[in-house]
Amino acid sequence: MTGEEIIATVKAGLPDTIQDTALPQGDAVIFVAPDCLQKVAAFLKDDPSLKFDYLSDVSGVDYLIEEREPRFEAVYLLYSIDHSHSIRIRVGIEEENPSVPTVSELWKGALYPEQELFDMFGIHIEGHPRMERLIMPKDWVGHPLRKDYPLTTEPVAFSYNRDFKSELVKSKPPTR
Amino acid sequence: MSVTEQGLLERDKDTMTLNMGPQHPSTHGVFRVILEMDGEVVETAEPEIGYLHTGIEKTSENKRYVHVIPMTDRLDYLNPPGNNLAFCLATEKLLGVEIPERAQALRVIMCELARIASHLVWLGTHALDIGAMTVFLYCWREREMVLDLNEEISGVRMMTSYIRIGGVAKDATRPWLDGIRDFIDYFPAKVDEYESLLTKNPIWMDRTQGIGVFSREEAINWSLSGPALRASGVNWDIRKSRPYSGYEKYGFEVPVYQGGDIYDRYRVRVEEMRQSREIINQAIQKLPTGDYKTPDNKVSLPPRETLHTSMEALIHHFKLVSEGVSVPKGETYVPIEGPRGEVGFYIVSDGTNVPYRVKLRAPSFMAIPGMCQMMTGCYIADVVGIIGSIDIVMGEVDR
Repeated sequence: MTGEEIIATVKAGLPDTIQDTALPQGDAVIFVAPDCLQKVAAFLKDDPSLKFDYLSDVSGVDYLIEEREPRFEAVYLLYSIDHSHSIRIRVGIEEENPSVPTVSELWKGALYPEQELFDMFGIHIEGHPRMERLIMPKDWVGHPLRKDYPLTTEPVAFSYNRDFKSELVKSKPPTR
Repeated sequence: MSVTEQGLLERDKDTMTLNMGPQHPSTHGVFRVILEMDGEVVETAEPEIGYLHTGIEKTSENKRYVHVIPMTDRLDYLNPPGNNLAFCLATEKLLGVEIPERAQALRVIMCELARIASHLVWLGTHALDIGAMTVFLYCWREREMVLDLNEEISGVRMMTSYIRIGGVAKDATRPWLDGIRDFIDYFPAKVDEYESLLTKNPIWMDRTQGIGVFSREEAINWSLSGPALRASGVNWDIRKSRPYSGYEKYGFEVPVYQGGDIYDRYRVRVEEMRQSREIINQAIQKLPTGDYKTPDNKVSLPPRETLHTSMEALIHHFKLVSEGVSVPKGETYVPIEGPRGEVGFYIVSDGTNVPYRVKLRAPSFMAIPGMCQMMTGCYIADVVGIIGSIDIVMGEVDR
């Protein structure tokens, strides 16, 4: 199916739950509220003409700099192996107590990317069996892919020529 | 009084926790798995990742689009052209530029060479894990030839960064094309040689057949992709289902097997090496003439010789070098078929020359939970076989 047909089918099947739709470069995109996500996901997977049986990925975006409301967004990339068509679900998530229900009961492959979503953005996944850090160390503070998390360098623990280097830096103003 | 009566052998519920990795030679990098063992049988396998986390996604949000390309090389370090291609295709989709046919063919050749090299590394290390030393040395011998070809065209043996936004870095050279012709003439006999060592080898068959079995439904549900999915009977190859870079013009087969075990994953990848060789052969035979990058100078640098005569070329050159490409506002996702499965970039652009968000869909990352699911109930000796058969690369798992 083409993007238009997919969106038309989803709109016909779930009349009131889809917030908005879009067709950037011909890809089908639907906007869904977090509390409707599981209902929409189950429909997309079970409907015989759509049959999105494969979850490609779940990624998160922090729209802090864009000043968009709501601040966070979780993006679910779905694909149908039988029909070779795809869809993106974009779920806006509020800044206060960010949370989104899990889809790992439908697609087991969602377990890891959802856990990464928690690790990197601090978005709580309701019903996820393991809500703990995945990539960062267990005692890490902060969520690195948020836009207010600074991109800094770690202080060097020790350096052979540290004093010499710091003098050099002081004496020489930056060229840019 | 016997030991059982004394209560010394009451070990029904007593399991042993065994740590494997991250510095284990057969975990292919720094993968760690904590195995709960009941005797020799794995009860649960708990993966632990993050030892190679380099923050590439965060760094990408602070670099220009062009500067992200060398970092994508380091994600899946056995398939740098594939990562370059996925990133460039996603950026080009947002930019809306057309890629000349010659550039597309050069991209295909590079990606298929990388697929061969990646599968050679996989076959060598996988066979070495199971105990076949000779295959490892043979595979490295042929991989060396591919790396020499990489060096000839891009100057670098592994991290080529050859595919750029708008085309490729430079045009094909005569020695490179001759080298590829020699390689594709030489290579099929070598694949037969690997197969003569393994395919009918009774030890290899005993160690791989019926082990780590995933059914079609399980493989889809656990988001496996690429050869691991095709070994479970799913005929899905992105080069066929959503062709990119002109893959629809090449005639090739997609090997599919039904067993879903380690042996079938082995057969899928070996057959893929032959098919990749076939694609390269066709691409070399009918390599189109023309530009090797888009003539749109807002995206790719103008030719060097025009800088002396054309003011406009000089301005384009200056703007591209000092500022970079500005990508229109939007978001997109483009998948390609890498050696390990679906490699895709989800890019969000805010209209500037720096990406707002770059997310890699890494096949190895997505396959790890399913891989640990396969390990439950198998013997500890088969754990290394299962890890090898999924072919994980930790660079793209931890990113």
